[in-house]
Amino acid sequence: MKKNQLITYIFIIFPLLLGSSFFLFQNSIFAASDATVEATIKISVCGNGIKEGSEQCDGSDLAGQSCTTEGYTGGTLSCSASCTFNTSACTTAAPAPASGGGGGGYVAPVTSVVFSGRAYPKSSVTLLKDAQITATTIAGADANFQISVSGLSGGNYIFSVYSEDNKGIRSSLLTFPVSVTSGATTNVSGIFISPTIAVDKSEVKRGDDIAIFGQSAPQADIVVSVASDEEFFGKTISDKDGVYLYNFDTSIIDYGTHNTKSKASIGNQLVSSWSYLVGFRVGTKNIMAELPKVVTKGDLNSDRRVNLIDFSIAAYWYKRSSPLASADLNGDGKVDLIDFSIMAFYWTG
Amino acid sequence: MTKIQKIKIILVACLLSLVAGPALAAEVSFDTKTQEVKANQSFEVGVFINTDNESINALEGQIVFPVDLLEPKEIRDGNSIVNFWIERPKIESDKIHFSGITPGGYLGKKGLIFSVIFQSIQEGSGSIEIQDIKALLNDGKGTKANTTISNLQLVISKQVPASQPAVVEKKDTDIPETFEPIVTSDPSIFDGKYFLVFATQDKGSGIDYYEIKESRQKFLKIFKKWVIAESPYVLKDRKLRSYVYIKAVDKAGNERIAVVEPRYPIKWYENYWIWIIIILAIIFSFIVIKGNLWKKQ
Repeated sequence: MKKNQLITYIFIIFPLLLGSSFFLFQNSIFAASDATVEATIKISVCGNGIKEGSEQCDGSDLAGQSCTTEGYTGGTLSCSASCTFNTSACTTAAPAPASGGGGGGYVAPVTSVVFSGRAYPKSSVTLLKDAQITATTIAGADANFQISVSGLSGGNYIFSVYSEDNKGIRSSLLTFPVSVTSGATTNVSGIFISPTIAVDKSEVKRGDDIAIFGQSAPQADIVVSVASDEEFFGKTISDKDGVYLYNFDTSIIDYGTHNTKSKASIGNQLVSSWSYLVGFRVGTKNIMAELPKVVTKGDLNSDRRVNLIDFSIAAYWYKRSSPLASADLNGDGKVDLIDFSIMAFYWTG
Repeated sequence: MTKIQKIKIILVACLLSLVAGPALAAEVSFDTKTQEVKANQSFEVGVFINTDNESINALEGQIVFPVDLLEPKEIRDGNSIVNFWIERPKIESDKIHFSGITPGGYLGKKGLIFSVIFQSIQEGSGSIEIQDIKALLNDGKGTKANTTISNLQLVISKQVPASQPAVVEKKDTDIPETFEPIVTSDPSIFDGKYFLVFATQDKGSGIDYYEIKESRQKFLKIFKKWVIAESPYVLKDRKLRSYVYIKAVDKAGNERIAVVEPRYPIKWYENYWIWIIIILAIIFSFIVIKGNLWKKQ
């Protein structure tokens, strides 16, 4: 072997050995340093409405980003369930046709659905497509909102919408099947999300008033129902912020458990569906109530959402013996269709 | 009471019963009540629900068909009102059992649950029946709704019937809907191991199957094989260092791939691709240097 060749081989083999030893050695070093890094855990919770850590966004917190900052020309940027940007409602304007002739290219028609209606002033509105979150937006001060969803195929979809009021109480889910035509824009208007509802006492002394309150659109006529053996109705009007309050005199109902719900109407034309039912007890003392939890039932993994993860956990326990207690929503000792029905009622996507 | 009075009361009762109409009940039925089919012919039968002004959010039941007359070929659920199947409709000898939910509820007169493509085998008559139907109200309690069913009477003959049903063949060129798989874990299932949940729809032909591939090496994933999977899927890489690719394939063969980024990505020096580049660069340098040395000699 010539001297020059030897030098060349050393020149090649040395870096290779150095590289491989670096690789092997560094693995162990970094394994140790990994252990140190893992000790400093930064907690970021997807779904708490605050953009943290590696999240691109969280709920309505889009970190100041918009469709235009994401490279689109317009539309509504929203946040997905996994805290990444959802650009499906972002639009890119077609370039203006050049003047002076020339062949035009084919622009595929967009298949989209535009939803509009009323929620509560400045409330967050969430749209579900086939039970999964597809877009969120914030309603205006007049409670009006509009959400556009594009990139759809022609076919039948189940869309649902719900809103969250200024106290973090969620409305019931409003669902509508929509037949989408390929290449056309379908408008779904006149949506009126049901009011939120809460009571100030979990137990009320018979004869005292119980405050039934919540939020709806501004200046809406609110009908409050208190269901006992007999159903009682009361009326009130929401204020400019959509907040309503109805004091119900419990002297007219018996001791025991009762439920209340509300619905709103504007000008006798736009009528919402009924809110969730809220229970209270008429007894011998007053016990103040906490505000309703964001999700009451069906949240099996305690992430404040009822979605595909909870469905998967329940499906795992479906028809199995000794199921997980939290998956047995009606407490009958088994996970069956009834538990899934309860979960579907409290679904948030 | 005179005879005339009695007759009057009976007449009024009869009139009232006519006016009152049927009680509220959700009806599960097929496209039609009777069907005439030619032997050895494929045809589609849709299973529908009319919720009769009640919101229904959970359904289960089964379809029973005569195996001597019919052979089920395919189940289509692309346009179903059911968003999540607890038990996806599956052909088991002479039955198709199903159960699923529609979060938020469905209220309508003709909601498609699913459809079945049958092939008629021989002449004869029989019925396709709906059995053990359970529909639950969207009331937060899982209250059972009143249900009625309407079966399908079938006549298979050698003669071509006047109105011949057929399989609606629609060319499906659309890929499945976008979807976002989620990696999660729960101490109550899979021994706390990380698992993946995913679901999407295809409005054309319906989802046929899903495939999953896990790879720590982003650019060398082509060497990993796709495996057929269902949601929930227990991840093989428990350290969450892999890219997870989920492919949804519809019945027309159209595909959409969703990617879940690794929660703890590999370090740069663990990336084989980088080492391949380094080694190639070294070999290239070696060739260049060796060439130069020989030239000098």
